[in-house]
Amino acid sequence: MNDASPAMAAVSVTNRPTSGGERAKMEVKNLRFYYGDTLALQTVSLPLADRKVTAFIGPSGCGKSTLLRVLNRMYDLYPHQRAEGEVLLDGKNILLPSQDLNLLRSKVGMVFQKPTPFPMTIFDNIAFGIQLFERVSRGELRDRVEAALTKAALWGEVKDKLSANGLSLSGGQQQRLCIARTIAVRPEVVLLDEPCSALDPISTSKIEELIDELKSEYTIAIVTHNMQQAARVSDYTAFMYLGSLIEFDNTDKIFTAPSDRRTQDYITGRFG
Amino acid sequence: MASYASRRIGNNVALGLSLAATLVGLFFLGAILVTLLLKGFGAISPRIFLENTPPPGSDGGLLNAIFGSLAMTIVAIVIATPVGILAGTYLVEYSRGSRLGEIAKFINDILLSAPSIIIGLFVYTILVVPVGHFSAWAGAAALGLIALPVINRTTQDMLGLVPNALREASAALGMPKWKAMTHVIYRAARSGILTGVLLAIARVTGETAPLLFTALSNQFWSTDLGAPMANLPVVIFQFALSPYADWQRLAWGGALIITVAILALNIVARVLSNIGSVK
Amino acid sequence: MAISIDMLAPVDLVAERKARRSVIEDRVFFGLTLGSAIFVVLMLFGVMVALVVGAWPALSKFGFAFIWTERWSPVKEIFGALAPIYGTIITSIIAMAIGIPVSFGIAIFLTEICPPVLRRPIGIAIELLAGIPSIIYGLWGFFVLAPFLQSTVQPFLINTLGNIPGIGVLFGGPPYGIGLFTAGIVLAIMILPFITSITRDVFLTVPPMLRESAYGIGLTTWETVRHIVIPYSRVGLVGGIMLGLGRALGETMAVTFVIGNSHNISASLLAPATTISAAIANEFTEATGAMYTSSLIALGLILFVITFAVLALAKWLLIRTNIK
Repeated sequence: MNDASPAMAAVSVTNRPTSGGERAKMEVKNLRFYYGDTLALQTVSLPLADRKVTAFIGPSGCGKSTLLRVLNRMYDLYPHQRAEGEVLLDGKNILLPSQDLNLLRSKVGMVFQKPTPFPMTIFDNIAFGIQLFERVSRGELRDRVEAALTKAALWGEVKDKLSANGLSLSGGQQQRLCIARTIAVRPEVVLLDEPCSALDPISTSKIEELIDELKSEYTIAIVTHNMQQAARVSDYTAFMYLGSLIEFDNTDKIFTAPSDRRTQDYITGRFG
Repeated sequence: MASYASRRIGNNVALGLSLAATLVGLFFLGAILVTLLLKGFGAISPRIFLENTPPPGSDGGLLNAIFGSLAMTIVAIVIATPVGILAGTYLVEYSRGSRLGEIAKFINDILLSAPSIIIGLFVYTILVVPVGHFSAWAGAAALGLIALPVINRTTQDMLGLVPNALREASAALGMPKWKAMTHVIYRAARSGILTGVLLAIARVTGETAPLLFTALSNQFWSTDLGAPMANLPVVIFQFALSPYADWQRLAWGGALIITVAILALNIVARVLSNIGSVK
Repeated sequence: MAISIDMLAPVDLVAERKARRSVIEDRVFFGLTLGSAIFVVLMLFGVMVALVVGAWPALSKFGFAFIWTERWSPVKEIFGALAPIYGTIITSIIAMAIGIPVSFGIAIFLTEICPPVLRRPIGIAIELLAGIPSIIYGLWGFFVLAPFLQSTVQPFLINTLGNIPGIGVLFGGPPYGIGLFTAGIVLAIMILPFITSITRDVFLTVPPMLRESAYGIGLTTWETVRHIVIPYSRVGLVGGIMLGLGRALGETMAVTFVIGNSHNISASLLAPATTISAAIANEFTEATGAMYTSSLIALGLILFVITFAVLALAKWLLIRTNIK
């Protein structure tokens, strides 16, 4: 188990910040994940620092998306997938059966690889989520929608066509719409599952700028197969391989002086 | 293997036969439609839509029959559509390969192709015998039970086409499942499900046998759903087999009306599903 | 319900309340869908039970002999199902004998030779045939086909095949026009579109690679169909055929007009007869007496059992080829 890095220790397991480092908004403790009888994640433990960006990298099939999808219990949609261990959000274990999943997901949002606008107007795409858990007046709703679209750097492009169908936007715009939709409900954590892999470079750089701005308000976890992207946007990086966490550290450290040989090999492109 | 020449001949003969088969099929389609047009067109006049069915040997219209068919079809579809959509929803969204689910799908598909006369007999025993008389309600029930498996099946197919990513995106926002279904998933499958309803209506429009033992028919104008009610298929049946020329003419007129209605429904359904898939 | 309640802002209270309510709403929705799905299953059992109950008086009086008794006498209240069963089976056999080759021919044409431009229109035309309700077929059969057969084809058959010893007896008797033969033809036309579209869909599941390898070694189109396509899709083909059979067995209106409604069994295919569904359709509303009605329902029960078995087998076969 490679959790002896200083960064891991610095990001503490309780809500109170220690002298060394930051508070952990979420904490994965001894997580094992199964698809049916197959073990896909082997005892992973790591923290997600509050209002920092943590990147999960690794070759295809290493389990990084699987891990991300545990953080909002997305796997619960599928009967043969299960998780053992603990995942703490502000100190409370969200893997317990008593956890209300909808409430959890209103706090831990997710943006997917492929943009998935709802078959509604652009306005409704955002408004619908807001009205799920809050009672807002019409005026406040308009303001919230505008704020979310502004934060997602989309407002300027769509403000005159809010009643157009969400599917009429370009790929990059649709993904920003999905991001706006996710942050409109004011989550505390935002999970990004390869958010740029289906997009062109210009949209990608726009979204990376977005991530940088968002992290002042949200805790962000991002799965990416693009190492340069991880190096650009994240504060902490977790390298995974074959279902295990190999190394977790400050991003700078991982990319300049990794401790593990396998991390080194992946970073330098020897495999994956 | 035979010589190349004889193989070539064999091939040409076989393919020639398949062309002939196609021509035969198209010929019969044409023959039936042409007959329908020729014999039915003469009967179509404003009268047919304005007057009720006449007594034997005189002329009249089909107004009460048209009304009856419309009324019973509407009642049938209004009941069958929500049940069919909900059943299809269970089988796709909740059952996830469970035994009950697979059995229910299997049974639904058998009911889809089951003889409609059996459904008629069934409704007879549960809705006509206890009540003591035929009624339009029973007719609508029979038609509804025929439409139900159709709508169930098309809903399943259409929901299956909705990408899973949409379900995950809805869940990721914390959306309760029923809201995800009604506001996102159904909306995404909307045109397909509507197509299914149209096809169910088309299917039900021509059904005769089940109405024979449920709504029967009625010589007169009636809006009483609790009594026997005239309807196009049964009226056509009665009139066509009668010896009266006027009645036979009306039968063909009714047949043309039914066929045009069904063709129109099929065309609209096709156009709808094309629009849906272009999106 | 363990929820993170470190800081209870008013927003969180609203959220929690909504979350609790949506749990109930979800359960109600689930219940509605489950209930609807179960309703469909119950329908099948309901039909079975209703038919058995309705048929019981007749079945308990006649017993199994009902199935092989030809006599049908409403006056004496003695009923036997042999004639309708015979008619159902024979008309279906005729329909299959004509329908299967023609359907296969059309499917082969559509998948192998038809110019791509014509594929859709012809396919749609064939589907139109499926949409035409059976009463139209019945009308057409009665007013157009039957007179035509009576005046031309049937006399021809009687004078030629009718004179051959052995099978001649199949074509004996006067040319009624209506009867088993005519009904069989009308049925064949009715089931054409069903078998054609399933056969075509099944043919299309054959991997193009397989076809191309056949052409690659020099097989002609027909040989490819005969030796590669058909054997490969064998199971699905049988499933499609059984589906067509299931429809033919239960078809009512198309047959009722042209079957002749006679409860006598004759060796000739040209003689009038009856089928189960035609008997029920023709006689039910005028059936007087409980035994008469019950016997007709018993006929319905027999039809139900036969078609259920055929359709279940068809569905099972089609599932095995992954064709829905």
